[in-house]
Amino acid sequence: MTQQPAATKPKHNWSYISHKIYPYLSILPVAVVIALFAIYPIIHAVRMSFYQYLLTRPNVHPFVGLGNFINVVTSYYFKESIQITGIYTIATVTGVILYGLGVALLMNTKIRLSTPLKIVILLPWALPAVVSGLLWKWILNADFGILNGILYALGLIDNYIPFLADPTLAKISLIMAHIWKEGPLVAIFFLAGLQLIPDELYEAAKIDGGSGWKTFRHVTLPLLRPVFLVVIVYETMTAILTFDTIYVMTGGGPANSTALISWFAYAEIFKSLNLGNGIALAIIIALITLVLIILYLRVLRTEESTVSG
Amino acid sequence: MTKLFRKSIFLVLAIFLIASLAVACGAPAAEAPPEEEQPAAEEEQPAEEEEAAGPASLDFVVWSYGIETIQDNIANFQAANPECEINLQDYSWLDYHDTMVGRFAAGDPPPLLYGSDHWLQEWGSAGWLGSISDNFPQVLEYDDELAPYALQGMTYEDAVYGLSYYADTIDFVYNEEHLQEAGFDSPPESWQDLWDMSVALKEQGITEYPFILAFSQEEGASIEAMISMIYGRHEGSGALFDENNNPTFNSEGSAAYEAIEWLREAYEAELFDPASLTTAELDQVASMQAGAHTFTILPQYNMAELNRTDSGDYAGSFKIALMPGNSHATVGYVRFYAMTPEAENMGEAAMACAWKFLEYFGGKTDGEYKVVKRWAVENGLGFAQLPLFDDPDVQEAFGQWGDVDVIAAQAELARAKEGLTPWFGTWDVFTRAEIHKAILGQQSTMDTLNNMADYWNELASQ
Repeated sequence: MTQQPAATKPKHNWSYISHKIYPYLSILPVAVVIALFAIYPIIHAVRMSFYQYLLTRPNVHPFVGLGNFINVVTSYYFKESIQITGIYTIATVTGVILYGLGVALLMNTKIRLSTPLKIVILLPWALPAVVSGLLWKWILNADFGILNGILYALGLIDNYIPFLADPTLAKISLIMAHIWKEGPLVAIFFLAGLQLIPDELYEAAKIDGGSGWKTFRHVTLPLLRPVFLVVIVYETMTAILTFDTIYVMTGGGPANSTALISWFAYAEIFKSLNLGNGIALAIIIALITLVLIILYLRVLRTEESTVSG
Repeated sequence: MTKLFRKSIFLVLAIFLIASLAVACGAPAAEAPPEEEQPAAEEEQPAEEEEAAGPASLDFVVWSYGIETIQDNIANFQAANPECEINLQDYSWLDYHDTMVGRFAAGDPPPLLYGSDHWLQEWGSAGWLGSISDNFPQVLEYDDELAPYALQGMTYEDAVYGLSYYADTIDFVYNEEHLQEAGFDSPPESWQDLWDMSVALKEQGITEYPFILAFSQEEGASIEAMISMIYGRHEGSGALFDENNNPTFNSEGSAAYEAIEWLREAYEAELFDPASLTTAELDQVASMQAGAHTFTILPQYNMAELNRTDSGDYAGSFKIALMPGNSHATVGYVRFYAMTPEAENMGEAAMACAWKFLEYFGGKTDGEYKVVKRWAVENGLGFAQLPLFDDPDVQEAFGQWGDVDVIAAQAELARAKEGLTPWFGTWDVFTRAEIHKAILGQQSTMDTLNNMADYWNELASQ
């Protein structure tokens, strides 16, 4: 019968514990950073949303429960801005996908001048949103805008069109500016996806007599499904949270026709000086975005499993 | 050793993580108990120790206009007061209010800054501005020489919060050359005159849209143009609010109703440029200079730029007329040099510099309003300091771009904006969209006025 030395047992235990804990230790620095810069602000913001925070009364913060949320939901702007945000989001996400996919397909072909073409197409993505907004504001200017100048010179219009002063045209202008700015990024995503599709699949489809459209429909699109998922989720978030382009181009006008819900989160804080309402609205926007993303994930994953099953 | 190190790191990080989450979930630090309001000044930290040597350094925040002149004025001030150092920062006029609110709320106020009459109540009630008359009672000696509307615009709860940077009127401006071309030898006196002349100008093809306003939803001065159109139609006070700040404008036939109806009809008749709804002041001036429009309403200081010799074919053609309407009254407004409690927190040397700075820029130096006069002569800015109207240099300068008699007559009819309250700024932002809706025909003028009154009452009840 052998007897273990008493001193070796704790050593073995410590080694065992260390082995088990080490993975958690490894991720702890990242967890701390996330806790400080993501979790802490979120918890703090949620807490503040239950208190009245008027910036003009910096020392008085009574607890108001859901009062800020009720204020926001019953406000004069909520219903209308949600509708405008919905229209804007659907239009921009659809437009960005069509534009991005089209550009990616073009860039995936072996054409002359593809490199300079790529640079030109990708350039808008490199511009800051504020610069892009200013650019479009001047292009669309009712008195001096180059678009009006071109249309007038071509004899297509008799008078300059106030693109940003008409509620409908202003919405369309913003959507176009958004697509122009965001499309290149989506094109890069799609191009990456296209270049991962093996040529053998296209050759097989060709041998089977598949036409261009059928090959696209049954080979390209299904294999781009993961890219679609990323693009739809990202672009939906981007569209709902659009602020800088609108701030520069229209300031939410005319008549609040381009004021997305995110604009009012800003307006509540910096125009009405009501931080509590602003945070409550920001939380509502975050929840709406979260719900949409979960829905997307479910729908696309269900379709994916149906296709693969 | 390595294991011990890992264990220590783990413990430290775990404690840090738990502590940070506990702080997040706990009561916000440095907050006063609910329902217990304290003057903002009391919350500030005690005065910092003054530096034994070196000048007192004060930040001065302005909106971006005449930066080179400001820098030169600062250089002159520093030369005369070597114990004071002024650091200039500027933001765009369109972003100025929001940026400053952000700085105040974040606890980063500059000791010296530009203020405006339509933000004074808001900023004063929040404790973001420091009272000049409480800290430097000698400022009251200037009261007798100030235009009443300007003094009113710098006063909150019986204390003076500013020394005037410039004070101006909102003026009706026309292109004389266009009018003569259309066969008119005098400007419109009533809104009906303006309508008839606009129709003639349009029919003769002189201008497509004779009338333009800077009515972009982000244009902070649009409310002043709107109120001037209301004042011009209204005799005496009570055009918008009574003495208790209750709305008086929301009735059919009121001056406000007439003003918005006129704009709506002019928009429909294509006499009023639809681009006005997206136009800011700079674009407004540029399009007038290009001859795209004949009539507009804008702050008077733009007249020097409008008539600048090399500004285009119409330089010298732009004239001021009294605001159309029965009373010809208009809005007089004031922008001013202000200080925050931060100056007081910085200590006595900083406070002494703050007063010297405020007086140098908005008051007298060697018995003269040197800086105010410089702005008037070089840039055409109006002023609240009435003795300057008699200054030969000012008269000569103003005469280059306007009729001094008309300017003086309009200044006499100028009134401060009614309803200057802590919630005026919030209400102003709301009204911009409501007025747009009426002009665009999305809702009736009465619905617009009722919405404006309801929102005013809602804000007042808070």
